[in-house]
Amino acid sequence: MRAQFRSRIRLVLLFIILIALAVFTRLYFIQIVHGDDYSQKADRQFAAGGSGLFDRGAIYFTRKDGTLISAATLATGFLVAINPQTLSDPEAAYAALSTVAPDALSHDAFLAAAAKKNQVYIEVVHHLSDTNGQILAKKEIPGMQILRERWRYYPGGTLASQSIGIVTYGSGDLLAGRTGLEATYDDALSRSGDSLYKNFFAELFSNVGNLLVAAKDAREGDVITSIEPEVQTRLQDDLAKVSQKYSSKESGGIIMDPATGAILAIATYPSYDGNNLQNVEGTALGNPLVEHIHEFGSIMKPLTMTAALDAGVITPQTTYNDTGCITVNKAKICNWDLKARGVIPMQQIIVQSLNVGASWVATELGQDTFRSYFTKLFGAKTGIDLPNEGRSLLGNLSKPQQVGYDTASFGQGIAETPIQMIRALGAIANGGVMVTPHIARAVRLDSGIERTLDWGQTVPVFSPEAARETTAMMTAVVDEKLQNGQAKIPTMSVAAKTGTAQLTDGRGGYYTDRFFHSFTGFFPSYSPRFIILLYTNDPQGVTYASDTLGTTFLDLTHFLIDYYAVPPDRGIATSSAVTP
Amino acid sequence: MRSRRILQILFFRMHNIRDHIPFSALSLCYGVVGVLLVSYIGLIAVVMSYAAFTVEFSQSVKNDEAAVAVLEGQYLAGVAHLTNIDYAALGYAKPVQKVFVREESVTALR
Repeated sequence: MRAQFRSRIRLVLLFIILIALAVFTRLYFIQIVHGDDYSQKADRQFAAGGSGLFDRGAIYFTRKDGTLISAATLATGFLVAINPQTLSDPEAAYAALSTVAPDALSHDAFLAAAAKKNQVYIEVVHHLSDTNGQILAKKEIPGMQILRERWRYYPGGTLASQSIGIVTYGSGDLLAGRTGLEATYDDALSRSGDSLYKNFFAELFSNVGNLLVAAKDAREGDVITSIEPEVQTRLQDDLAKVSQKYSSKESGGIIMDPATGAILAIATYPSYDGNNLQNVEGTALGNPLVEHIHEFGSIMKPLTMTAALDAGVITPQTTYNDTGCITVNKAKICNWDLKARGVIPMQQIIVQSLNVGASWVATELGQDTFRSYFTKLFGAKTGIDLPNEGRSLLGNLSKPQQVGYDTASFGQGIAETPIQMIRALGAIANGGVMVTPHIARAVRLDSGIERTLDWGQTVPVFSPEAARETTAMMTAVVDEKLQNGQAKIPTMSVAAKTGTAQLTDGRGGYYTDRFFHSFTGFFPSYSPRFIILLYTNDPQGVTYASDTLGTTFLDLTHFLIDYYAVPPDRGIATSSAVTP
Repeated sequence: MRSRRILQILFFRMHNIRDHIPFSALSLCYGVVGVLLVSYIGLIAVVMSYAAFTVEFSQSVKNDEAAVAVLEGQYLAGVAHLTNIDYAALGYAKPVQKVFVREESVTALR
């Protein structure tokens, strides 16, 4: 019995030893006999050296149904490098390369690279597709390496490109976000790139602190924006049409939720494609909507009106005598058509866009109160999550001359960024409270946890009553004035205001024939879901913003109502059918 | 005297145990060493496989993400194409009338 058991034990031991020998033999063949082959194969498949493959978090658009669509992600492919010292037949190598990437590199450039015999590694083609890379790798051309490569890819091309930003080397050798959200959220998007290639046990024992605290995991993630790709596409398309039709220097627009500050679309024209920066000038990479300041013109009047209503110096029923032109500090201020209106109520200042009326309101408000309101509206940066935000120019409000206040009341003589402007106008739509405009709404950490960003900081400026009274005046603009009342939507109240400002000539004066057009509006008027700001700079052959941007604003309004199925807020109480 | 008795009992018991083990201590050691050796080799194989698998899986995920990005690019290009379409040029006209109906619950439509 005992001898029998002993023989069984020996049998088991023999079996174990045989398995061990088999494993050893296999390892010997893998590592020693075929080691070079596997090493070369690995070289062809993965990036050489310790640099690793580029890695970076994604930036997402959010569709209206909550689906995330990549705004910035990573593309995978191959790069082709040559070793001129071992590349024996450059002509054959180029022929093989040109079969898979005919336009990637000229014949002369390839031969010039191959002639540099003092070098051992020259990258000749980047961003080769997966399929083409594998075809080329199978040819196993001596002296040519096909290496894995990853790069930043923007699926939308020009879509919100100036806000999404770009990743470049900058002045150093580190790829990092340089503009837009890529720069603002660089900490969250950057990857250390070491997690895959570390020894598991070495990582376990040498970095216990990191494993326990996981500071990196609490920081690194993907950025989720509130930009809706279809709304963004629509806005960009409309702005391009305006710019092309009127040969404008530049056009821009923002669509925002006035209650939260979440930006649904933000665009300028011209723009650029983040995937192809070869012919893009450095100055075009910034975001004019947050960096550049403009005199916006008459879209400032609703803010002047709301300030006066809030301060209690006027009521909607207050009247004044409109003389068509007034002289203030030796400067002449006139209505757009130079015509007098006589004694009229406040609403007409907004509906007919009367400069004399806005000046009268500013005078009633008084310099100190006017300055106080406008400093609150434009005195600080908005805090939007985009870099290089500009500051407003409110110098005229520090001087004692009344003319500075009068011109500011209708949007001349002071300058703001478009993002400041929509934030201030958003206060009228949002019951008198300014919110913080923002593009990113959350960071999705690598752990899968979605960390919602806090944009809850608000600045109360006006009373809800004052905001509501101005809203009624702005609603009358669409119902009565815009396109002679044809723009009225029977089932939806829309509040809007046009703005036409003369452009400065750079010598302290203004051009009489060059303009900056702006247009703002929100709807439904008394419970707005969207506020829109549009502008076009120096349009040719047209004077008034209602001509350049009125159609665009209405197109966007109808699109948003349909796309989001915004329920009617008027016009169906007694009848279920209406004719637009 | 008492302690000697205890030692005798212990020794007697150990002797009994030794009598009941059917193999030598040396064989046991051989077995343990063999198992440890195989475990060690197995562990190395597992760690290497884990590392290779992790790299391969990560690469696979990135490849899939890149493929999804291409599809997303096509989707966004499709959206841009639809936005650019001039429906009037294709012969479509704006509706002459829009009829709004009050939203009802799903059950009400049955």
